[in-house]
Amino acid sequence: MRISVNWIRDYIDVSLSIPRLIEELNSIGLLIEEWEEKGGDVILDLETYANRPDTLGHMGVARELAAKLGLPIKEQTWPLTELEEKTSDLVDIQIWDGDLCPRYSGIIVKGVQLGTSPDWLIKKIEAMGLKPINNVVDVSNYVLFATAQPIHIFDLAKIGGRKIIIRRAKKGEILRSLEGEDIHLSHEMLVIADDKKPIALAGIIGGEESAVSEYTRDVFIESAYFDPVSVRKTNKKAGIQTDASYRFERGADISFSPQAALMAASLLTQIGGEATKGIKDVYPKPKKSKTVVLRNHRVSELLGVDVDEDFIEKTLTDLGFQVELQQQGIWRIKIPFFRIDIEREADLIEEIARFYGFDRIPARIPPLKTLEPVLDQKRRRVNRLRQLLFHYGFDEVVNYSFFDPEKEAIFETSRKAVRIRNPISSRASLLKTTLIGGLLENIVWNRNRGAEGVHIFEAGKIYFSQDETCVEQLMLALVTSGFVGTTHWQTESEKADFFQLKGTCEDLMADLHYEPFSFQEENHPFFQQGYSLSLHFKGKAVGYLGLLKEDILDSYSLKDPVWAAELNLNELFERQPQSFLYSPVIKYPSMSRDVSFIADQDVVFQEIKEVVERLSIPYLEKFELYDRFSGPFIPKDKISLSFRFIFRHPKRTLLTEEVDNLQQKIINALKTSFNIQLREGEKIDK
Amino acid sequence: MKELKDKIEEHKRNFDRAIAQVKDENAIQKVRNLYLSRKRGYLRFLFEDLKTLKPEEKPEVGQMVNDFRNYVQDKLQSLKEEFTTPRPVLKKVDLTLPGKKRYWGSPHPILLFQQEIENIFLRMGFSIAEGPEIETDYYNFEALNFPPHHPARDDWDTLYITDDLLLRTHTSPVQIRVMEKKKPPIMIINPGKVYRKEDPDPTHLPMFYQVEGLVVDIGITLAHLKGTLEYFLKTLFHEKIKIRFRPSFFPFTEPSAEVDIGCTVCQGKSKECRVCGGSGWIEILGSGMVDPQVLKNVNIDPEKYSGFAFGLGVERTAMFAFQIPDMRYFYENDLRFIREFSLK
Repeated sequence: MRISVNWIRDYIDVSLSIPRLIEELNSIGLLIEEWEEKGGDVILDLETYANRPDTLGHMGVARELAAKLGLPIKEQTWPLTELEEKTSDLVDIQIWDGDLCPRYSGIIVKGVQLGTSPDWLIKKIEAMGLKPINNVVDVSNYVLFATAQPIHIFDLAKIGGRKIIIRRAKKGEILRSLEGEDIHLSHEMLVIADDKKPIALAGIIGGEESAVSEYTRDVFIESAYFDPVSVRKTNKKAGIQTDASYRFERGADISFSPQAALMAASLLTQIGGEATKGIKDVYPKPKKSKTVVLRNHRVSELLGVDVDEDFIEKTLTDLGFQVELQQQGIWRIKIPFFRIDIEREADLIEEIARFYGFDRIPARIPPLKTLEPVLDQKRRRVNRLRQLLFHYGFDEVVNYSFFDPEKEAIFETSRKAVRIRNPISSRASLLKTTLIGGLLENIVWNRNRGAEGVHIFEAGKIYFSQDETCVEQLMLALVTSGFVGTTHWQTESEKADFFQLKGTCEDLMADLHYEPFSFQEENHPFFQQGYSLSLHFKGKAVGYLGLLKEDILDSYSLKDPVWAAELNLNELFERQPQSFLYSPVIKYPSMSRDVSFIADQDVVFQEIKEVVERLSIPYLEKFELYDRFSGPFIPKDKISLSFRFIFRHPKRTLLTEEVDNLQQKIINALKTSFNIQLREGEKIDK
Repeated sequence: MKELKDKIEEHKRNFDRAIAQVKDENAIQKVRNLYLSRKRGYLRFLFEDLKTLKPEEKPEVGQMVNDFRNYVQDKLQSLKEEFTTPRPVLKKVDLTLPGKKRYWGSPHPILLFQQEIENIFLRMGFSIAEGPEIETDYYNFEALNFPPHHPARDDWDTLYITDDLLLRTHTSPVQIRVMEKKKPPIMIINPGKVYRKEDPDPTHLPMFYQVEGLVVDIGITLAHLKGTLEYFLKTLFHEKIKIRFRPSFFPFTEPSAEVDIGCTVCQGKSKECRVCGGSGWIEILGSGMVDPQVLKNVNIDPEKYSGFAFGLGVERTAMFAFQIPDMRYFYENDLRFIREFSLK
C-alpha cells in the first residue's frame, strides 16, 4: 500500500530522514520496498500482510510508528454542522442477515454541493495514486486510506422507500455496478437493498443507480462491518476486487464503524452540507473484546532472551492494548478490535519481539540431542547414478513437471495423465507421464543453438493416476543424439548409437550392484519396431531403451535419430541389490584363448552367449566378443566373430592341455549349435 | 709364482669359453657375478692369492691380474651393449598441439546449489525428509494454519488438480507429515520441487525448488533460529556478510521473520542497483517460531515444546549467488549455461 509521509505527519510529528524512517518501519515488520519523492511529499511502498488489515490505513501505520518512536498521537476532531432532523427518522436500516453483517452505521448529509475537492484533499487522493473525481467520492476514498475502514456514499433520493435492508440476494437478482457491469447475484451474496431491489454488493461495490451524480443533493453514508469470508467468497465469485473488499475480506475494525461515518459526514459538512442528528448505529449483539493471558516466562522461553517487564507493559499499551497485571509476571491483555491478528499468547510475544528488536535477540546454535542415522538410500543411489553419468559425458537437465496434452498423446504411455484444473497455459495442463518429452525439447533447443551432439539425462518424477490416486514415480531418463565427446586431432569423432546407450545402462546397473540384469527384445510405444529392449532385474521390467519412433521425433521437428532410455528408479530401488563383499584377488595367472569363426549373418549374440554359459565351463573367468565384421574377405551373408575366453584357476596355475580341452569343448558346442567355420589367423579352415 | 700365472691363463681361457656361449643379458650378469663379484668372484680370489707372493714377484703378477680384470670388464661391457636393443631415435613432436580432454557431464546448477545448501544443514545434524508433490489442501494449507477462504492464501497462488488435491506450493506439508509420525526432537530439512500459478518471468517460475527446515524440541527459541540461519548464511555466502532479521507474517509461524542479507553487489550504495533494487538488502529466507496452532494440529503440546521453521527458494538464492539476471535460464536447459557451472 502507498503511504504518504505528509499524511503520517497529520497524526504524529515525525522528523526523521527518509532512510532512517524506513529503517524504523522495517525493524517492526512494516517493509518499505520502494519510495519516491513526489510534489513535496514522499510516497512509501509498504508491503502489507494478510493478517494486518489495520496497517491498510495511515492511522494504523502512524500508531505503529508512534509506538516505535515513543511519540504521542495527535488528537483529531470531527466537528459537524447538524440539522434538527434525526437520522433514524429519515432512513430505516434493517439487518436481515446479521451473521454476515453484525454492525451497520449510517448518517445523512443534506445539501451537498458536488464539485472539485479542496486542495489538501486533492493532494491526498493523488498521493494514493488515484485521480480525484469529486468531493464526495474523494471524501470516501480519504476515509478509507486514512482509517482502513471502507465507507460507501449513496444518493439518498435513489434509495427506494428510504429503506436500507442488509440481506442475502435473491436468486435472479441483478445489480448494475458503478462500473456499468451487470452482476448476477446468487443467494450466498450479501447485498444492500432498498425496499425493492439491491443497490450495492455489500462491502465490494456500489450500484450505478444509487451512485452519487451531479444531480445529487442529499447523501446517505454507510459504514459497516461485513463478514470477511462472505466478502471474499462474493468477490471471488463475482470477480470484483476493490479497495473496500480488500479490507473487508481481511477484517475491518468493528468498533470503528460509526466513527468512520462521522469523519465522512464531518468532511462533507465542511464543504457545504448539513448532517442529520445522530448516527444510526445498528449493532444488535455487540462483540466482547478478546482477552489473552501473557506470562513473562513464556516470553523468554520463546524468544531466548529476558525482556524487561516495564518494556513489555509500555509497548503493549502504546499499541492500544489494555494491560492489567494479574500477579508477578502474568498479565491480562485486552485486545483492541482493530488487531484481528491477536488471539493467543504467541501473538503478543511477537508484538514484544517486533518492538524489542530482532537484532537484539542473541544468536545461538540449538543443542544437538539426537543424531539420526541417514537411512535414505534413495538419495545416495541417485547421486551415484548422476556421478556415473557425468563421467560418461551426460549433462544434467531439469525440466518443468508440466506436459502438453498433444505431446502426451503422441507418446502413448498408457499412463493416465494427471490434469491441472487451472494450468498456466493449455500447453502445460498435464503433469508429465515420461521424462523423455522434456529431454527432446532440450535437444531441439541446443541443436538450434549449434550443439552438434546432445547427451543429457534427468532424474525426476513422473505423475499419473492409478486406482483413483495420484502416483509419483521416480525415473531416470537419458537421451543421446549426434556427435559424442570432444573433438580432437588425433581421433575421429564418434556418433551416438544404440550400443553407447546400452553400455551406459549396463554400467548404471552394475555400479549399484543391480546384477544380474538382462535385456529382452520387446516393442514399446516410444520406439521404432524392432529397435527397443526392455531391461529386467529380479523378474521385473525396470526400464526400456531404444531408437525413438519417427512420429515422436517429427512432433519435435527432430531429424536425426535419438536414442533414449528410461529407468523406473522406484521399482529398482524397491529391490535389493547384490550385497557387496570383498573377494580375494587370485594370484595365479590367467590363460586366454582367442576363437574366431565365420557364422551366418543373422546369428544372434545372445544365443551364442547362452550356449557358452550353459556349458558351465570350469575356470572360465569371462569371455567377450572383441571383433565382429563382414566384408570383402568374408563370404556373402556371413560375418566373422572373434571371442576371447579367459581361464583362471583360483588355487593353481592352469596347464596348457587343460585349457586346450576346455577350448575344444566350447568350439564343439558352438559347432553343434550354429553353422560356423573356425578361422585360423587369416586362413579359413575348410 | 708360475702356479699363479697358469691359474690366470686358465681363468682367461674359461672366461673366453663362457662369453662365447652367452646369449642374453641374464647370462652376462651370471658371468659377471662369476668373475667380478666382490665376495666370491674369481678376481677377488686372484687378488687374495697375490698377497702370498714374495714382494719382488708382486709387480709382474699384479700387472697380469689387473690386465685380466680390465679384459673381463671391457668384454662384458661390449657384450652388454651388443645385447641391449638400441632405443629408437625420438621423432620431433610438436608439443604445442592441443592435449586430449575428456568430456565430462555437468550437474544442473540448481541441483548443485541445492546440495551445497543441504550439506551445510547435514553438517549441523539435520536429516533430510521428503514428501509428495501432489498434496491435499489439508497438508498444504489447513494444517499449516491457513483458514479456508483466508486472503493469506492469495500469496500462495495454487495449481489445483481437484477441489482437494493440489500441487504443493511449499515443502512445509512434509513438516506436517513428519511431525504427525515422529515425536520431538525433530531436526529436518525438506528439499524439493514446489509449484505456483505464475507465468514464468525473470523473477517468477511456475515450478521451483525450495529447501525448508524444521527444529522442534523442548526449549527451542528465536535465538536458536537466529543462530542456525546466521551460521547457514555465513557458510553459504561469506563470513562477513550482513544479515538482518525483519518481522514478517506467515500463517504457520509466530513470531515470523524474514531474513535479508546485505547486497554484495552495490553494498547498499546504489539506488539503481539491479540486484537489490536500491534497498541494499536481498530477501533470502522466510522463517519463524512454529505457530502453536500448527503444533496442536499434529498433537504436539505447544506448552511443552517449541520449534522454528525456515525456507528458501533455491533459484532465487542461486540467482543472487551467481548474479544471474533471469530465473528462466535455469529451465531453458541451454547446455552452454549448464556447463558454466561444471568449472566451479
